[in-house]
Amino acid sequence: MITRFWAESATAVATMVFGLVIVKGALEFGIGWDSSGPQPGAFPFYTGLLVALASLGTLAITIGKRFAGSGGLQEISLDGEQFRRVAAFFLPLLGFVLLSVTLGMYVATILYLVFAMRFQGGYGWLPSLATAIGAAAFFYLALEKFFQIGLLKGPLEPLLGL
Amino acid sequence: MDNVASLMHGFSVALTTHHVLLMMAGVLLGILVGVLPGLGAPNGVSLLLPLTFSMDPVSAIILLTSLYWGALFGGSTTSILFNIPGEPSSVATTFDGHPMAKQGRATEALSFAFLSAGFGAMAGVILITLLSGWVANFALKFSSPEYFAVYFMTFASFIGLGGASPLKAIVSMGIGFALASIGMDSVSGNVRLTFEFDALLGGVSFLIAVIGLFGIGELLLTMEEGLKFDGVQAKVRIGDVLRTAAKLPRYWLALLRSSIIGIWMGITPGGPTAASFMSYAMAKRSSRHPAKFGKGEPEGVISPETADHAAGSAAMLPMLALGIPGSATAAVMMGGLMIWGLNPGPTLFTERPDFVWGLIASMYLGNVVAVIVVLATVPLFASILRIPFAIIGPIIVAICFIGAFTVAAKPFDIWLALAFGIVGYVFKKLDYPIAPLVLAMVIGDKAEDAFRQSMIFSQGSLSIFWSNPLVSTLMAIGLILLLLPLVGPVARRLRGRTAARTV
Repeated sequence: MITRFWAESATAVATMVFGLVIVKGALEFGIGWDSSGPQPGAFPFYTGLLVALASLGTLAITIGKRFAGSGGLQEISLDGEQFRRVAAFFLPLLGFVLLSVTLGMYVATILYLVFAMRFQGGYGWLPSLATAIGAAAFFYLALEKFFQIGLLKGPLEPLLGL
Repeated sequence: MDNVASLMHGFSVALTTHHVLLMMAGVLLGILVGVLPGLGAPNGVSLLLPLTFSMDPVSAIILLTSLYWGALFGGSTTSILFNIPGEPSSVATTFDGHPMAKQGRATEALSFAFLSAGFGAMAGVILITLLSGWVANFALKFSSPEYFAVYFMTFASFIGLGGASPLKAIVSMGIGFALASIGMDSVSGNVRLTFEFDALLGGVSFLIAVIGLFGIGELLLTMEEGLKFDGVQAKVRIGDVLRTAAKLPRYWLALLRSSIIGIWMGITPGGPTAASFMSYAMAKRSSRHPAKFGKGEPEGVISPETADHAAGSAAMLPMLALGIPGSATAAVMMGGLMIWGLNPGPTLFTERPDFVWGLIASMYLGNVVAVIVVLATVPLFASILRIPFAIIGPIIVAICFIGAFTVAAKPFDIWLALAFGIVGYVFKKLDYPIAPLVLAMVIGDKAEDAFRQSMIFSQGSLSIFWSNPLVSTLMAIGLILLLLPLVGPVARRLRGRTAARTV
């Protein structure tokens, strides 16, 4: 599976790209000096540059250690079993996010909790549905009624008259 | 004496039925987030913050700080009963707390933990009472270069003393600063770094970052480790608590030493986690029976707990007096202060004395309330942990995303929270420190403004940061902290070489 070396290197490259994107974005606003002091791009430019350089440093150290054979970089960072556990948690979570922005957060909460309990937790339909609908009802009462904060709603809530 | 009079006024603000009820609610919610994996003090405060936007700032800060105390206590409960630290800062409590619980001394361990935590918190609050006015007066002399120097010092200490790879700390901090500069630029009025995405016009909220990094990221990591709750039953009887309390004075030296370590780590941004580990290590090193540590030694519970809470409360001092948070949770609270329209820093003491002293007084009361509430509710919260993770995990996920949406009612923030969750998981796995990122996001704008104003004063010359003794001292301390990671290995190598030669 994934060794520490690849995890470290990939992350360092990703943060370096982030830093460079910020640098590029900052250049549009000028990084020099004008009548009102430093231009708006100056501060982000240097922070972006700092991120890119520090990432490069991490990458260099990681590769250096790899060749020196030190630092435990050959250790498995994520094995098959761990990957399965994380994926089993992350994929429904991703589904929840997708449902939230399309069907609204209440419907997404109910579907997500039912899925997690019924199909992943091995509970019966009744406890799963009761917990899911109970949780959604609690969020509704606490947020919309008590704190007067509206959550993201989809096409289904108006049908229920909420 | 002035402070005492102000404090008395503060008590009159804090001691209303409304505020005491808020304290109890905050503590209960805090214990809940402290007990549940994936929900900790920083994101507990983040999740609750949007709900306080319409509240009076004094009530709001009492609710949030009480939640913080509750979370610190909740974290210790799970450490002792389940061997699972509910908070990173209570990891050190598991070393001796859980062995004590397994030997049937759970009540004793819990009582020691809560009472010594209360002692540590009190020490921190007393320090705040005595010093905050003085520090604020001192800080009134600060102008932009001094402020920038203080921010510089804060981040230098993260890089130099954080314990993580300095390069990784810089990456984390730089990402925070970069994210803070997205959106409206307060000096020029330009909209920066939005890359043509309308959703980025309003900037990236630090609350979304905290919810993703600490909440979702922590949950993913918890899942990866495949955690199992295997707890020790505990019933807390008043008699046992009193008997334990009577034993506490015997450990006065540990209490005192741990309070000092905690206060120091809280004021400098070392944070509660570092404080509790350091205090545990010191207790073990100075003990006459170091072999007993790890097998259920009460001092091994008292030391980290005292330091943890002393650091947690002392972290409020730089936040109030200087506008610099001493921990991730304090950073979130400081962001809250700014959202409520307050300006954290020395002027707060003159502009809103009722707020400052009401908060300080509430810290005394809140900790007393917290000790009582936590002792009374141990069985209740221990039973919550027996709910299987297949139910509790997804509910926490839903709460995190709902909390992310309530910050600004933007669907984009839900995606952003997910992205931060993945970043949090990867960063934690690879030992990138996360607190500097959050701190940089909260004080990024202020640090940038301070830097730009200094540059305007000096017409672009960096020499302004060495223009008077005060700012030079601050910058020098910052530079020394920054260079520590370079000096440390060299010194060790030199010492190693001389040692080798003498052998």
